[in-house]
Amino acid sequence: MDVFLQQLPQLLINGLTLGAVYALIALGYSMVYGVLQLLNFAHGDVYMIGAFIGYFVMVAFLPPDGPIIAPVLIIIFMMLLAMLGCGVLGVVIEQFAYRPLRNAPRIAPLISALGVSFFIQNAVQLTLTAKFRNYETEKLIAPGLAFDFGNARLSVTRALVIVTAIVLMIILQYLIRRTKLGKAMRAVAIDREAAAMMGVNVDQVIVFTFFIGSALAGAAGVLTGIVFTRIYHFMGFSAGLKGFTAAVLGGIGNIPGAMLGGFILGLTETFAVVFISSTYKDIVAFIVLIIVLLLRPRGLLGARIAQKV
Amino acid sequence: MKFRKSLIGVLALAVVPMAFNSVVFAQTPTIKIGIMAPITGPAASIGTEQLNWAKMAVDDFNAANGWNVEAVESDTELDAAKAVTAAESLIADADIYGVVGPAGSQEVEATGPKFKEARLTTISGSATRPSLTTSGNDTFFRVVPTDDAQGPTDGNFIANELGATKLFIIDDQTSYAAGLADAASAAFEATGGTIVGRESVKQDDQDFSTLVTKAVGAGAEVIFFPGQIASQGALLAKAILEQGADITVFGADGFQSVDDFIKGSAGAAEGAYVSAFAPDIHKLESSADMVKRYTEKYGEFGTFGPPTYAATTVLLEAIKRASDAGNLTREGVRDEVAKTDQASSVLGNAIAFDENGDVKNAAFYIFQVVGDNFELIPSSSDEMMEMTPEATPSS
Repeated sequence: MDVFLQQLPQLLINGLTLGAVYALIALGYSMVYGVLQLLNFAHGDVYMIGAFIGYFVMVAFLPPDGPIIAPVLIIIFMMLLAMLGCGVLGVVIEQFAYRPLRNAPRIAPLISALGVSFFIQNAVQLTLTAKFRNYETEKLIAPGLAFDFGNARLSVTRALVIVTAIVLMIILQYLIRRTKLGKAMRAVAIDREAAAMMGVNVDQVIVFTFFIGSALAGAAGVLTGIVFTRIYHFMGFSAGLKGFTAAVLGGIGNIPGAMLGGFILGLTETFAVVFISSTYKDIVAFIVLIIVLLLRPRGLLGARIAQKV
Repeated sequence: MKFRKSLIGVLALAVVPMAFNSVVFAQTPTIKIGIMAPITGPAASIGTEQLNWAKMAVDDFNAANGWNVEAVESDTELDAAKAVTAAESLIADADIYGVVGPAGSQEVEATGPKFKEARLTTISGSATRPSLTTSGNDTFFRVVPTDDAQGPTDGNFIANELGATKLFIIDDQTSYAAGLADAASAAFEATGGTIVGRESVKQDDQDFSTLVTKAVGAGAEVIFFPGQIASQGALLAKAILEQGADITVFGADGFQSVDDFIKGSAGAAEGAYVSAFAPDIHKLESSADMVKRYTEKYGEFGTFGPPTYAATTVLLEAIKRASDAGNLTREGVRDEVAKTDQASSVLGNAIAFDENGDVKNAAFYIFQVVGDNFELIPSSSDEMMEMTPEATPSS
């Protein structure tokens, strides 16, 4: 127990990093579900594409040798391009895979989502091969750069991930709570037809929802690359599953819920490794999910809403 | 009209050789061998290397004997379920007389019964779990030593050469890694050392930071991680460096990848150890020509590919002997493989199998990461082969 108390700060740092990534992925799941009641299973693969865009931007800007000019700018550029690229990809997916099925039974877009997921994974494997690629984070941020708190070490890399994720969440929260677009999104989420009758351009709102959700997944992809460094074509599968779990945990369709769910999931996994075993960390995470759903079927922050008929 | 004429011409050009080919094939029997490797997926870097070495062995054999053996690529993605599907399609092809692979022990376990029933010989260049040869599958052979040798070699080296008393063990939930981890931990405990933690990860896990925190808390001096995915070794090394911990990484043959383990770790793997079932043939004088030809055609390689070349050669020679004896059947090939007696191989050792299908007198080697290379630790093998000191190291 003494050892555990000593290590608690380090574990919190580890868990929050993981949680920040999960939360960013969960947001996209939750937003799309909120507006369309659609589980966008291709979301994890959008995240993977984000990681790859960030990687190629990094490769393009890193000189083969010699000093690196403005690493901070490179990171910002990686983030922005990945977010933009993924946002556009999300819109394209919506256009081709979901819009034609908008009035179909709910199972149809779900199958379509799985198809898109396979398509993206295999397209990446075919074009970029199944090779692992590594973010050269150490060239952007010196590995030794860290804040030491007693036994714990918060590397600048992790600090960057956690802070960036939180900043993005605050911006998102502002966007949804304080802007006209956010108001329109909330209106569409509550009742699409009524919103349309009030003059909300539903198609446009859905396009924006996909854009923003996918952009956040892209950001999560780049942050994963920066902190965990290894990226490959299949990485979106388990990350997507975790993001989905986080979204359900927090209450799917609920934005603060997705953030909370992500952080809880990250911390749960981390503590499961220490208290139980890394072997069982996923099992523990899913047991927590089941318990939460038993006690609160709509997730931690999920509102009680009447099922649409 | 002109267009139509030229189109007919093109069609005719395309059809004639096809017809011609089929006539040729009808006269001489087609001989194919299957090459099962994780060509894509998480171990693709190793699988591609195995595939390329196997192809080179087939080309060399065809050139030397004037044959036209065809290599059938079969991707397993290092996944037992996919390996079974791949095995079924190889078995269904009656022209296939033997298979090189599969690569991973879990794949051999999954496909073994099918191959045995079909009497189709498999020769692996990398599956090291001991029980594979002792479980009664007489169609399975391997040209690499088993983890009965590797585990104790590693455990003893960690205790005696590294002087560690506290060992933390991670496996990747494969039958290969779990078996090797058990063998090494038994040997390590026998020297009086303590196992301070035993964990397992999934092969797609990315985050090793909490495992490192746990190992630090347990006071580990060395982490033994006999994983199959070399890039996970790099992730572990990076997590150790990030937390500023003083822990040595010790991996097994799965980490023998310069790209994924050494370069992927961006320097964090410096000083780490790995064991390997094959020597670094870059340093074998007898294989210098082979190294040159391979590098020119396919690029750099580690220690995973050459054993597959050896396995392919053993299979092809057996097919030839069976054919010469007029007994070119799957069973006939199996019998000839069992009788293999090669005086030398690309690995520098002679190849002959014992009654279980294990290669006789093979040794494990221990390497340390120095710069961008795996450097052989001289004491790790008594069977040092003729080394050329000035030979260029692998990269």
